[in-house]
Amino acid sequence: MPLIETKNLWKTYKMGTEEVNALREVSISIEKGEYVAIMGPSGSGKSTLMNLIGCLDTPTQGEYKLNNRQVSSMNDDELANIRNREIGFVFQTFNLLPRATSLHNVELPLIYNGSPADLRRKMAEEALAKVELSDRMMHKPSELSGGQRQRVAIARALVNNPSILLADEPTGNLDSKTSVDIMRLFDELHREGNTIIVVTHEQDIAKRAHRVLSILDGKIASDVRVSEEGRKIL
Amino acid sequence: MMFLSLLGIAIKALWANKLRTTLTLLGVIIGVTSVMTIISALEGMMGAIESQIDRMGPSTFVVTKWGLITSEEAYWEAVKRKPISLEAVDLVEAGCENCEKVCARAFNRANIKRGSQTLRRVSIGGVDPNFIDIADVEVGQGRFYSYEESLHRKQVAFIGHTVREELFSGVDPIGKDIRIGGKKYTVVGVAKEMGSVFGNNHDNFTLIPFTAYMKQFGEPGDQFNLMIKAFSVEVLDETMDDVRLILRSQRHVPYNKPDDFALITADNVLEMVNSITKLFRVGLVGISSISLVVGGIVVMNIMMVSVTERTREIGIRKSVGAKKKHILIQFLYEALLTTMTGGFIGIVLGYIIADALVGMIDMEISPSSFAIIAGLSISTGTGLIFGIYPAMKAARLDPIKALSYE
Repeated sequence: MPLIETKNLWKTYKMGTEEVNALREVSISIEKGEYVAIMGPSGSGKSTLMNLIGCLDTPTQGEYKLNNRQVSSMNDDELANIRNREIGFVFQTFNLLPRATSLHNVELPLIYNGSPADLRRKMAEEALAKVELSDRMMHKPSELSGGQRQRVAIARALVNNPSILLADEPTGNLDSKTSVDIMRLFDELHREGNTIIVVTHEQDIAKRAHRVLSILDGKIASDVRVSEEGRKIL
Repeated sequence: MMFLSLLGIAIKALWANKLRTTLTLLGVIIGVTSVMTIISALEGMMGAIESQIDRMGPSTFVVTKWGLITSEEAYWEAVKRKPISLEAVDLVEAGCENCEKVCARAFNRANIKRGSQTLRRVSIGGVDPNFIDIADVEVGQGRFYSYEESLHRKQVAFIGHTVREELFSGVDPIGKDIRIGGKKYTVVGVAKEMGSVFGNNHDNFTLIPFTAYMKQFGEPGDQFNLMIKAFSVEVLDETMDDVRLILRSQRHVPYNKPDDFALITADNVLEMVNSITKLFRVGLVGISSISLVVGGIVVMNIMMVSVTERTREIGIRKSVGAKKKHILIQFLYEALLTTMTGGFIGIVLGYIIADALVGMIDMEISPSSFAIIAGLSISTGTGLIFGIYPAMKAARLDPIKALSYE
């Protein structure tokens, strides 16, 4: 049974009197443990697809099943629950709380599922250790480098052991060396069995994935499995 | 558990925005302080008036030709009435079974001299010796004058605390002579201090036997009244009816005419004071509430700014699984924490200011539980009413839009 299964997903926005179809008939299926890149130029609908997969939004039409649960018909609170337990977001702009320490930022998802304080702290410390930031737990985002901030964000995404790690242009705000470090971390997380979906417009990033979904004008244009050889060229 | 965590988040957010929090607090403090000042001061003043009136005691009433006069018409009506006659004392004493004590009273003002010292326009009361058993006056030193002294029209005086302070500083007044309006009186006792209300000194008086008063000032006429104590509160109404009948027949009031005299109890006086001051009190509280509304608007305004400023934070919280209620509660906590803290400070400040204000007219107030409960519920209510809209706005934000908010 696939982890993610969508059937004929449509997302339509109303712009004044005009209707814009951001997604059209998107049917995809992603298995547990896959490493998928979603590619496409800006305006192609890849962000809309990511928002739907990440349960930040619901489709206008079609079905979306996550872990065999029908997400497309859920209400706001149920979606919040799914985001909390099943999805770990990594954003281009990191999206950390600026006044909170790394530790508190990583604890955040655990606060909203009611975990007790001591467990929260333990799990957050473990997640930060995984991204090698044990020595930066009490630092605020402004005291960290871009790469370190993104690693805090990754720790936050992982802290609740989600089904999917969903990254939106995770290296978009990083220099190339740091980008490579972050992508290596993604490779490692994939090897450990995490399902990873990366939205990007950079070929180099996409090549690290094992499968590339191209999206154009709201439709899936191609779905390519990248061979071991293809990745080695990097 | 989670609510504690949310409370922690709210406290951190307030602490992180000290200036904003201070401004909000200020708005609430000003509002609550002004309402609390008014409520505390009014409560204190009304309390002082009540305790003053209660000095008469619950089973005591006064018979006077004047009554409680609240209009010019009533005054001119009362002027025409006959004075209460001296015979009324004997008639009531003989005819009223429930009357425990009947005390004849008349008041006047006169200068009191001792040696070269003069105290001007002191209230001189000519009262029967049973006055000390009826009225709320206590002997501080010496004794009250006796029936024998009254019977023999002895020129003895029972002086108030102020008279003693002014004329006998450092000297034992008992047995010493004073001159009231030129006549020599011997001091037999001093009253305990009673304090003052509205700058009105209640210790500047001297009491002399009613008999001696008549000898010096003549028939009291319009100023004559009776103070009557019933055996108990239960028989007060009955007693008053008896006295009313006796006076009506003595004064030949036709059966179809109203009384041409009045019986006044402490309750009557209290009622009148309450009704006169009611509009004034409601008005003051109403006017001061305007500043509270302004304070509430300040809270709402600053919270709206706060929600807009923290749109991205709300987006982040929602993306990691915060539900609507979590965001709502967090922002409501922030509003309630500020308004309740502001309310608490406002109550204390209001009390201090009210105390200072009331102190200027020689009165004291005590913390009233009504004022405290009112202050707390007013400030909490302000937080809820003016905090709920911004909090709901925050809770309803779309996570995608909130995350991309610059």
